Order: sequence, then C-alpha cells, then structure tokens
Amino acid sequence: MGIWSRLAWLRPWLFLAPAAVFLIVYGGWPVAGTIWRSLHQGDDAAWVGLAHYAWLWADPGFVRALANTALWLVVVPALTTALGLMAAHLSDGLRWGGLARAAIFLPTAISFTGAAVIWKFVYDYRGGDQMQVGLLNALRVWLGAEPLAWLSLPVWNSLLLMAVLIWAQTGFAMVILHAALRAIPPQIIEAAHLDGAGPWRLFWQIRLPQIRGALAVVWTAITIMVLKVFDIVHVMTNGQWGTQVLATQVHDWLFRGVPDYGRGSAVAVVLMALVLPLMLRNLWSARARR
Amino acid sequence: MNRGRRIPARAAAVTVSLMAVLWLVPVLGLVVTALRPADQIAASGWWRAPFATQTTTALRTAGAGVQGPGDTGFVIEGGLLSPRARLQAWGLTARAPQAHAPGDSVALSGGRALTVDAEGRYRLTAPGPFTDPRGQRIFVTTATPPRLTLDNLTRVTGAEGLGRALANTLAVAIPATALPILIAAFAAHALAGMRFAGRGLVLAAIIGLMVVPPQLALIPLLSLHNALGLGKGYGSVWLAHTGFGLPLAIFVLRSAMAAVPRDILDAARLDGASELRILWGIVLPLCLPAVAGFAALQFLWVWNDLLVATVFLGNTPGQQVLSGHLRALMGARGGEWHILAAAALVSLAVPVAVFATLQRPLRRALAAGAEPRC
Amino acid sequence: MVRVAGIAALVCACAAQPMVAQDLVFTPGEDPRFDWASYRALAQTDLSGQQLTIQGPWLGPDKAAFESVVAYFRAATGAEVVYAGSDSFEQQIVIDTEAGSPPDIAIFPQPGLAADLARRGHLRPLPPAMADWLAETYAAGESWVDLASYPGPDGIGRLYALPYRADLKSLVWYVPENLAEAGYAPPDTFEALQDLTRALAADGATPWCIGLGSGGATGWPATDWVEDLMLRLYPVSVYDAWVGHALRFDDPKVIAAIEGFGWFARTPAFVTGGPVAVAATDFRDSPHGLFTAPPHCYLHRQASFIPAFFPDGVEIGQDVDFFYFPAPAGRADQPVLGSGTLFALMSDAPAGRAFLGFLQSPLAHEIWMAQQGFLTPHKGVNPDLYGDPALRKMAKILQSATVFRFDGSDLMPGAIGTGAFWTGMIDYVGGKDAAAVAGQIQRVWDSLD
Repeated sequence: MGIWSRLAWLRPWLFLAPAAVFLIVYGGWPVAGTIWRSLHQGDDAAWVGLAHYAWLWADPGFVRALANTALWLVVVPALTTALGLMAAHLSDGLRWGGLARAAIFLPTAISFTGAAVIWKFVYDYRGGDQMQVGLLNALRVWLGAEPLAWLSLPVWNSLLLMAVLIWAQTGFAMVILHAALRAIPPQIIEAAHLDGAGPWRLFWQIRLPQIRGALAVVWTAITIMVLKVFDIVHVMTNGQWGTQVLATQVHDWLFRGVPDYGRGSAVAVVLMALVLPLMLRNLWSARARR
Repeated sequence: MNRGRRIPARAAAVTVSLMAVLWLVPVLGLVVTALRPADQIAASGWWRAPFATQTTTALRTAGAGVQGPGDTGFVIEGGLLSPRARLQAWGLTARAPQAHAPGDSVALSGGRALTVDAEGRYRLTAPGPFTDPRGQRIFVTTATPPRLTLDNLTRVTGAEGLGRALANTLAVAIPATALPILIAAFAAHALAGMRFAGRGLVLAAIIGLMVVPPQLALIPLLSLHNALGLGKGYGSVWLAHTGFGLPLAIFVLRSAMAAVPRDILDAARLDGASELRILWGIVLPLCLPAVAGFAALQFLWVWNDLLVATVFLGNTPGQQVLSGHLRALMGARGGEWHILAAAALVSLAVPVAVFATLQRPLRRALAAGAEPRC
Repeated sequence: MVRVAGIAALVCACAAQPMVAQDLVFTPGEDPRFDWASYRALAQTDLSGQQLTIQGPWLGPDKAAFESVVAYFRAATGAEVVYAGSDSFEQQIVIDTEAGSPPDIAIFPQPGLAADLARRGHLRPLPPAMADWLAETYAAGESWVDLASYPGPDGIGRLYALPYRADLKSLVWYVPENLAEAGYAPPDTFEALQDLTRALAADGATPWCIGLGSGGATGWPATDWVEDLMLRLYPVSVYDAWVGHALRFDDPKVIAAIEGFGWFARTPAFVTGGPVAVAATDFRDSPHGLFTAPPHCYLHRQASFIPAFFPDGVEIGQDVDFFYFPAPAGRADQPVLGSGTLFALMSDAPAGRAFLGFLQSPLAHEIWMAQQGFLTPHKGVNPDLYGDPALRKMAKILQSATVFRFDGSDLMPGAIGTGAFWTGMIDYVGGKDAAAVAGQIQRVWDSLD
C-alpha cells in the first residue's frame, strides 16, 4: 500500500505509455524530422536556416495556397458543424429520422476516388452546344442560362471544392453530435421546459451549452481534415485556376518530378503551425477544467 | 419522446428531407453511372438514364465482300440496328446526318442508290460490281430505349483477385481499427479521469500531432520498419494505421470520457476499484457511442486508404488491398468513368453492409450512452 | 438474384486464388514471324528460385500486356517475377528508395526522376556496351542514349536505363470522310495546316478539339503543343537549349511558340467551345468531338495512346485516321516529338540484369507489338507483327524520324515541367498574356538553381 501510494503519480503515465510510444514514433519523430529538413538543403543536408521559409514567402503559389487554406479553415468546419448539428437535432423527433441520418451519413463511406467521379458529373462543363453531363450546367441550361466552367472560376471553384468535403463530412459531424444530444439528461430539458422555455430557447440555451465538448471535438476533427485535404483538390483541379492549398503544395514539392524535401517540409511546418490556435485553446480549456 | 418542445415539426421535416435528398442525389448519380453503358456516360447526364435518348451515330454497310447479284446490277443488303431500335432519320454526311426519312431512296455517285427502312434494313444497289472493301457510312438517328447494365459491375467484381483483395483489406482494417481504440482508451482515461501535472500539455501535443501530413511521415517510418526488420507486411501496416489514427482516437475518447461525471469515478475509487476496473467497467461502457463513432470513422479511413497500404503492405497482386485492386483495373491514364463508378460502388458496399449489420448493436450502444449518468 | 450472382463471383474469385502461371500468348516456335531464337537463347539462363520485383506505372490493359511479355522471361529462365503497378508510381518509388526497400527494377515514365535517383546513387550503372548497342539498334539511337544517361553520384555521366516502349506525340487525328466531305485533304506543311484551320472556320465549322484537363496532371497536353511548335518553328538546337535551360523560358522565341499554340487554342472560332472549354475539358473526353454528328471538330492533336479513349467500335484507318503534325514548308528535317519508358536497375540481383538482356531481344518487343498499344524504336524487330495497321504507320513515322526529341516538360525540373509550365499554360489559355506567363515560369526556374 505504501509503495502504491508513493508511486501513484506514476499511474497516469503508465496508462499513457503505450500511446506515448506510438505518438513519439509515428508523430513526434516525423515532426522533428520535418522541422529539421525544413532548415536544411534537400540534397546535401547543408544548413540553410530560414532560407526555405523566406523563399516560400516570396512564392506567389505558396501565398495563394496559404490564403486558400485559410478560407477552407473558416468555411468548412463552420458549415460542416452547423449542417451536422442541424441534421442531428431536427431529425431526432422524426419517425424516419434514422433513415434521413443514414442518407446523410452515406457519403462519409465513399472513397475520395468515388467522390471525384460523383462530383465530376456535377461540375462538368461542355463547350458550345454540346449536351451538358454536369448536373449544375444542365440546370443552368434548363433555366435558359449559359453553362459555366465552374472549376475554372477563381474563388468560386475553391468554394465548390469545399462543398465536396462538406458533403462528405457532414455525416461524421451529425453522428457525433447526435450521440451528444441524446446524452443530455432529460431532466435538464424537462426542467427548462417547465420553466416555459420555447423550442428555440431550449436549443440555444440548454442543449447547445450541454454539447459544447462534442462541438469542440467535431470542429477540431474537421479542421484537421481540412488541413490535410489533398485528394479533392489534387484530383479535381490539380490546384489549377488558383485552387491550390498547402497540402497539395507539400505533395507537389515532395512527389512531383524531383523531390525537394527542404521546401516541402517548410510548407508542412507552416501547415502544422496552423493548428497552434486549436492546441492553445485545448490547453487552456484543459487548464480551466482542473 | 419530447416532441412538441422542439422546432415546429413540419419545418424540421421539410429541412431534414431536403438535406437527405441533397446528400443522396450525388450518391444516386454514382449508382446510376455505375449501371450505365460506358458510351452513354459521356453522352448524356446520368439523370437522363430513365428516358429514351435520341442518338445519332455513324454506322457502315457491309463492304464489297458481301455483294450479290440484283435485278439490274449488284446489291449489298443488311441491317444496321438491333431488333428493338427504331430508325427516326438517316443521312449520308456528317453535316446533314438526318437528311432522309426511313424508306427514302437516295441516289449516290456512280449510279448507286441506297434505301434504309424504319427497321434499319438497308439496300445498296449499283449498276456495276462494288470495289470498296470499306462499306458506305450511314448516319442513323434512333430512339434508344433506356438501358442499364451490370457489365461495369461484373467487370469490376469478376476481375481475378477481388476475393483476395477483400480478404487483404479486412485483414488490414479490423486490427487497424481495434488497435488504436485499445491503446487510446488507456491514454484517454489518463487524460480525462486522472489528475496529474502536464495533462494540458500532453493534450495539446496530441492535437498538434493530428495534423502531421502523412506524406512526410512515410519515408522515415518505412525506413524505421525496415530497420526493425518489420519490412512490408500486415504488422507494418497495422502499426502505421494505428500511429496515424491514434491522436484522433485519444482526442475523441478523451472528450467523451471527460463528460463522465467525476463523482462516479471518485465513488468507485473509494470502493477500492482499480483504475483498470474503472476504465473497463464504468468509463468505457458509458462512452460506447464515442467508441463506435471513432471506430466507424477509422474503419472507413482504413478501408478507403490506398497510400498507407501501398507503402507499408505493398502493391503486388498478393498484397493488394481493395482500393489498390480497383485502381489497377483502370488504365494508367485513368478517366474510365464507368469503371471508376463501379469500383467506387463496390468499395462502398462493404462498409454499408457492415454498418447495416452492426446497426442494432450500434444503436443499443448509442442508447446505452444516452442513459442518464448522474 | 443480383446479390447471389455477386456472392458467387466473390467465391469464384477466392477459389481461383492459387495464381496459375500466365499462359504464353503466342506459343514459342509456332509463328515464324517472331524471333524465337532469342527465346531459345534465353532458356540457357537458369534463374529458377530467384525473385525479381518490378515497379512501374502501368495498370489495366498495359499491365496485362507487360505481364504477357514477362511470362516469356519467367517460362524461359524459371525466375519468379512480380510486377506491381501504381498510378502514383513516382511517389511509391521515392518512398521505397529513400526508406531502403527499392524494387529490383523500376520503370520510369519520365527521365527526370530517374536522373535524380541516379545522382543519389540509387540506380546501378549499365555496361557501356549497352549504350553502344542502343545507339546502333534503336532508330535515332543517340537521342535514346542521351535520354537514359545521367551523371552518377560522382558526377560522371553513364547509361543508367534501358528505354523500352515509345509513344509518338506529333500526331493529328481526324475522320477522313468528314474532312473529305468538307472538301479538304490532310495538310502536309504547317502552313497548310493553318490554312485548313482558317478555311474550316470560314465554312462555319469548328476545326479543333483541345482538352487540357487531366485530374492531378491538368495542363500537360498544352505543353506537348508548345514543344511541337518549338520543334517546328526553330532548329532543333533551339529546342535543346530551351529544354536544358540555356535558352530562357521568357525568350521571345519561346513566347512566340506559346502564342503559336494560342493561335489554335485561343481563337474562339478555331476550337470547340472556345478557350474556356479548352482548359475545362478533360483530355480523355476531348477526342469525342471528332465522332459526333454533326462533328464538333475536325482535328485533334494527341499522342499515339489516344485511341484508347475513342468511342467503342471506332476502327483506326477506316473510321478515324491520323497524320504527322507537319513541319513548315521548306524544312529539310522532319522533327518528331515522343516519349519513352525507361527500365533501371535498383539492385544487384542477377535476374535483373538478365531481364534487361531479355528486353534487348527483338522477341520482348514483338510480343507486345503483336498485341495493342506498343511502339518501339528497335530496328531489329519484325514490323509485320504490329497488331494493327495504325501502329505500323506510327512505327514508320518513328523509325524514319530524322530528328527525334523527347517531351521537353519531362526533361525539365519537376517544379517546371510538371508544375509551373502546366499552370502557366492553363493561365495562358484563360487569357493571361504569353510574355507574362513565360516570365512567371522563368522566375520559378531561376529560384530553383
């Protein structure tokens, strides 16, 4: 007993140990390597200091990718979480709610290759008087408008690519939030209802605060997916027409033609730095809970 | 149970059904595309699949090889259309492909004459013998009845090695889903249910690790596996998927466990329950929804992954996972939309089947999680 | 019913698992047109029990055809050969090499990455005798030797790869009956091609179908156009200087070539759907415009592999044909643009060397020739074996090329040839000024050195 209580401080670390091994080997080590490589010449490992970062900053392609990534970070987590919450909450009282949720969850199970086929037949553009096989342009023609080459319209094209990720991930947000909503003790709702709270107030002032934790999880997870979003942009536009994001830049520097580890790693470090706010927020909330 | 206290039911029903339809329409597009003949996919939108389409195509009569004697010279006869199709118009030039009606007789150069009837039977006559081995080109405009086919799917499922690829994928996906959950459960419990210094820092580090681009981690990790003698193989790919999935697993489980009321844990500890008992007996059962949610996500991610599997398992026919197997059916230059669509549909089938089968236990798990905790 | 069939298919697939060695598509010794002597010679080498791993970019039909060639090696020597194809081959080979588990043989679709791996010491140099053999046996042999020779880790240039299988790029596809109906014949000079373009447009027809879309490689078809024009507007030395960065990308000559492409692709009346459609159309969907009625276009410039994307049932030579993208009038040489795949050794396995030896034999070329989609510059093969007349005609262009040059974008650094050049051409077709585009590409190139 005496030994155990003196060693009690060790207990959390014992529980953490297996995970820590994995995290250090599969996360920490590559991160350290990436930072190291971003400071060295790709070829001969000569120290170059911040030269890669300075180069990136002067590269219009990188700046564009950074701006696009920022746009993705604002739009996608917000819309995905909001839509997921809407679907989770509104479907809950419906008899066929489970069916609707299954429909919204289905795209989560589709591979990015599959998603690329699906959305090609939404955004496709045919010139001149050819028959449109893209859903959006067919609608436009049906309404009497000229078809548009959606994916080559700057800024719009980024938003249309975001729509693919939102479509694919709303199901994930919905499932997590639905579980959280169902977990709210009914007594709380009951009490608020007896106090005369209407459905809107119930939702905004009672339910929402109760699922704050789940909302943070969803928001964080989607943010991370956004930072890593690579396939959608790569497959649908190859980053042309100003749609490049940081993850496609990492891929291009590493695996297009001759690899340039220095610059690719520098972009990756910038990418990882973009989660700092999230990390700090979590750090802060973990402290606050203590 | 608490209907009526929500947003008015009708508005909710309209919004939800609208969303469900919006989300389903693209999936429907995939299903229909997978079932259409390859040439129709590029010719008309998938939503036109149920309608008869008017198509104009170039066909050829038989060449000089099949000519026979006619009343006043030589004749080539034959049929252009399949039995069910009906000819609407025909023509001889690409610029006026619908110039003639069925039954018209048209004079060609050199005293030749051609007639095509509504069934697509043609009769080409000439005063002297035909010499061109290549037949006369005829543009036919037909109403093609809607046609769906299982050809694409059978091509994808019939290709050799699908069973092996499925088995490989399951052999990768099941341990690669279970392993991170197991390891994450311990870590998450430590982070959520125990008090110790440095907790916030550990958590922040885990969030930071979630964003490591896998492309950068592949080379150092594969060299590590090679150095450890793991090389390429199932062990290697399980470890890699576990490593990549672990940060999110810990994060999701920790936040679910953090919602478990403290007093329950403290009461159990006062009763002398070990931390392991608390984790397995109390915390995990309460967090089943989160576990199920993460398991679904990780399973799907591993199921659809190609990169990690190719790097850590390999890409030879014996090692190929389903996604790699389906990619291999396509040409190196891609773009075979019918195969892509059929392949995507096949790879979608298993996760859907898994979720459908697990639906009941899953729902029970969710319901268990929904029970009051205080 | 469907479900039952599906399950049955699964069961069959599982049951068929023990992989039966692939049967040989042409029985050795049977058809005298094949060079069976090389097969008998190969059978002298006993490699039973040895394993050979090959990684390459070929999938689908290409993979099947290549494996049918490999089957002869396996049957003759007893070696176990495993081929793994991937559509992200470049990524796989870099990862596997850097991590220390490379295959025995890698098939590079472009020389750039091969050169880089050679410089880092990951490729095994090939004997000088093989370079001599290449120069002698391949049409325009010296240019093939150049393509496969790179400086090694010590900076000394050596042969590091064996080219096997070529693609021809300078081809214009058309439907003969449509062109004849419109009253025109295939042009034989570049000027005549321009006249034909103008004349078709004046008749109210659209002359060209051009599509630059290609998923993760969007933009590349435009680089082929610019390269073909560089080869036609100037002497070959200018092309070589441009590719080797001795001529700046923003040189007026290069800008003129880009504008030469723009003359076709940016004149709204010359191209289906106008310039907007050029960038937005997938290159695999683009040739379909030739076959519609009325035709959306009459001409389509694309490499020898494009028939794979023609509608079903289209027969080359009858329903569609091609002509050599012509050189300007009065030009003495006939420049031809092409590309080739390169086999490089990454290990010292004896089976690897033996396999490259097998690829030098006419038989290894003839097996694939007699099937689909294969061209070779090997002069020792029997041209009668080409599977269809179109291939034979292409082979003739390839074999009679006085100047053969490789796809320049493949030879430039990756950040240019598969990055800035692609993006620049998309921007150019989108309306940006040629000089501005060239200047942007040059700036990226400057930053690499």
